[in-house]
This record gives sequence, C-alpha cells and structure tokens, in this order.
Amino acid sequence: MNMIPDFKSIATKSPWIYRINAGSCNGCDVEMATTALIPRYDIERLGCQYCGSPRHADIVLISGPLTTKVMQAALVVFNEIPDPKVTVAVGVCPISGGIFRESYSVKAPIDQYFPVDVNVPGCPPRPQAIIEGVAKAIEIWRERM
Amino acid sequence: MSTQLTTLLAVFLFPGGLFALVLGLSLKGLDRRVAARLQGRIGPPLAQPFFDLVKLGFKRTMVPATASQPVFLGAPLVGVVSMLVAVALVPVSGLYSPDPMLGNLIVLLYLLMVPAIVLMIAGSASTSPYGALGFSREMTLMLAYEAPIVLAVLAVALRTGMGQGGVITFSLTDIIAYQRSHGMFLLDPVMWPALAAFALFFPANLGIIPFDIPEAETEVLEGPLLEYSGPALGLFKVMSALKAVVVLSLGIALFMPLPFDGIWGLVGWLVQLAVLMEIGVTVVRLSMGRMRIDQAFGFFLKWPLLLAIASVVTVTIVA
Repeated sequence: MNMIPDFKSIATKSPWIYRINAGSCNGCDVEMATTALIPRYDIERLGCQYCGSPRHADIVLISGPLTTKVMQAALVVFNEIPDPKVTVAVGVCPISGGIFRESYSVKAPIDQYFPVDVNVPGCPPRPQAIIEGVAKAIEIWRERM
Repeated sequence: MSTQLTTLLAVFLFPGGLFALVLGLSLKGLDRRVAARLQGRIGPPLAQPFFDLVKLGFKRTMVPATASQPVFLGAPLVGVVSMLVAVALVPVSGLYSPDPMLGNLIVLLYLLMVPAIVLMIAGSASTSPYGALGFSREMTLMLAYEAPIVLAVLAVALRTGMGQGGVITFSLTDIIAYQRSHGMFLLDPVMWPALAAFALFFPANLGIIPFDIPEAETEVLEGPLLEYSGPALGLFKVMSALKAVVVLSLGIALFMPLPFDGIWGLVGWLVQLAVLMEIGVTVVRLSMGRMRIDQAFGFFLKWPLLLAIASVVTVTIVA
C-alpha cells in the first residue's frame, strides 16, 4: 500500500539536469558548470547529474534571452524531454531580456513559450542560488510524478 | 532436474540475477562516491544508482518516429539477458562453480562481446546521426580490444592446461582449482604480460574514461544511448552494472582467486571486487582524459596485443 509513494520519493533523489542555452552570453552557463564541477558547490550531493541527451533529462535549465534564431531549435529540444519534467530559467535574461532587453532579435520573457516553473534571477546568479533553484525544482517534480 | 534448478538459481539469484544486480549497482555507487571524494567533493549517496534506476522506471520511454521499434526496444533486453547468463558462467572461488553444461570460457568470451554489439544495434536502430557515430566508434574499439583479450585468456588457459599435463583447458573451474593448488597467477612472472593485457582491456570493455569514446557525452552526446529514455535506458544501466561484475570477477577468476572457502571466500571476493573497481575504474577514469578513437585503436594494436602475444609465447616456452 505504502510502496508507491515510497518509490516516488526515492525517484526524486535522482534528478538529471539538461542545459539549454537559448542565446545566453555564457555567463550563466559558466556558473552552471561551476555548480556541478568544482568541489565547493557539489550538486551531485542531491543526486544530480548533467546529461548529454535531452531524452535522459528531468530538470531543464534554460539560460539566455531566447533569441529569434535559436527559438525554434530550443522548442524542439524542449519537446524531446520526456515527462514529468521541470523547467528552471537561470539568469535575468529569461525573465526580462536582461542587458539584451528591447533588442529586435530577442523574445525576452521566455514564459510565453516555455512553461517556466522556477526563476533564478541574477546576472549571473550565484551557484548557491542555482542549487536552491534546482532544490525547488525537485519539490515541484515530486508533485508531478 | 535438480541441475536445471541450480542453473536457474545461478542465473537469477546467486551469483547471477538479483545478487549481481545489487552488487553491480553498489559498485557503481562506490565508484561515484570515491570519485567525488578524490576530487574533494562530497558526492552522491552510495545508493545513487538504485535511485537512478527507480527514477527511470517512472519516466516515459520515447521511441523516435523513424526508429525500428522492435529492434530499438529489444536491444537492451538482449543485452541484459546475455549478461545474466554471463554472470552465472563465472565461478566464485570456493563458493560457486558453474554447471559445465552451461558453458565455458569460450562461451563467456562470446557473451562479453554481446553488450558492445547490442549498443551498436541500438545506435543504428535509433536512426540518430549521433547513434551512427557511436556505432562506428564502438565497432572500431571492439575490433581493437578483442584480439588482445582472447590471446590473454588463451595464455591463462594454456598455462593451466599444460600445468595439468594436458594442452589447454577452457574450464574456469579448472583454472581456479589449479591456482588454488599452485598459487595465484598474479604472483607468477610468466603470467604478468597476460595480466597487463587484461588490465588494459577492461577499461575499454567497461567503457570508462580513456576509452569511453563510443558514449562520449561531450562529443557524441552519449552516442547509442542518445535516443533512449525511461525504462529502456534503465535496462542499459542494468546491463552495464552486470557487465562490471562479469568483467571484474572474470579478472579475479583468471588471475587472483582467493584460497578461502565459505563466508570468508565471499567476503574476500567482495573486497577484491571493490578494490579492483577503485583502482581499475575510479582512479583510472579520474586521472586520464579521453582518447580519440584513432589513438585508442593504435594503442590497442600496439601494447595490449604485443603483451598478449608475448604472454602466449612465454607460456608455451616455459612449459
């Protein structure tokens, strides 16, 4: 009887992360890599693992202001990610366009196109903030499962 | 009837099946944990591979529209089944020796090739260009490491066979029995070239870092596994966990079976597995970068092949 909720909480200990760079300046991407790779901010403690293929992913980190050029590709990749999935927008660009706002080639608030669950503002956000964003995403993911 | 029953138990319970699955996943967890500690991180919990597997059970399996569905979904099943049988073929010193009816060293060598072939089939069935790249890399690597491993195993078989007064024996049970009465091959200088060839083979077969070229995440996006998701991907994880147990315990059986029986034999065997996993997998994968496929091909046709040929020659001369 109790087995199913148990398995669900076990399953949420293994969120695999996929990064989509939607025209970011790479600042946020460096911070995301830092979050995973250096000893000080070890995201693997939460069971996270960056994966190379969108099909393996559970949590999507999107960075960048969503340029016109990259929008279609980003949407295609996003739809390749199997449900249940959670979307985290990293940086201020996905919210408002950041330093690129009002540009002719930027689709800035990306929640028009992607179902964003968690926003991690900052330019770039600190690794601690990204980890907290992922931790919040894990809670949302648990509800969806 | 009773031999069939024990064979079934060997395949599904101990040392194959459930036991090997738990063991393989624990070894993977240990590997990740120790890797994190060596890098100064805290790392995931020891049971992380189990969590991953449960998680994959909850996800959806997506089949690409252009893929051939039966082949795409059948490939991981074939891989897991072949590894289940392979685990049951490797004797554990003083604890378990497989039914000779089930197969011998030659069958085991064939079964060890199946995961690579399954990955190739999976990669091509997914119709992804990255899968095709992974296919060609996997095939190149397999061609390169297959000759040295066969020759290294042949050297062990020759040494045992000649020691027993015959010519050659392909029974792993006999090989273990011979080493228990004459000392481990690990301590026998004649066998060192074969041991070195085997040590170079096993990171390639397990697909860890200097030789994880077919599944390189940063180059070909995990190659053949790119299109897999959910339970099908979980089956591949199970396959690789079982393969780690098979290859490591084959190494133990060929070169370093412990002279203990019963519970101490089991404990010693587990410790050997863990130590080999740490030295042979974790340290190696953390201290090296990935080779290019042409470098790996050249490397395997140079050193391991030479060592393996040298081992066969010396074994023949010494005997």
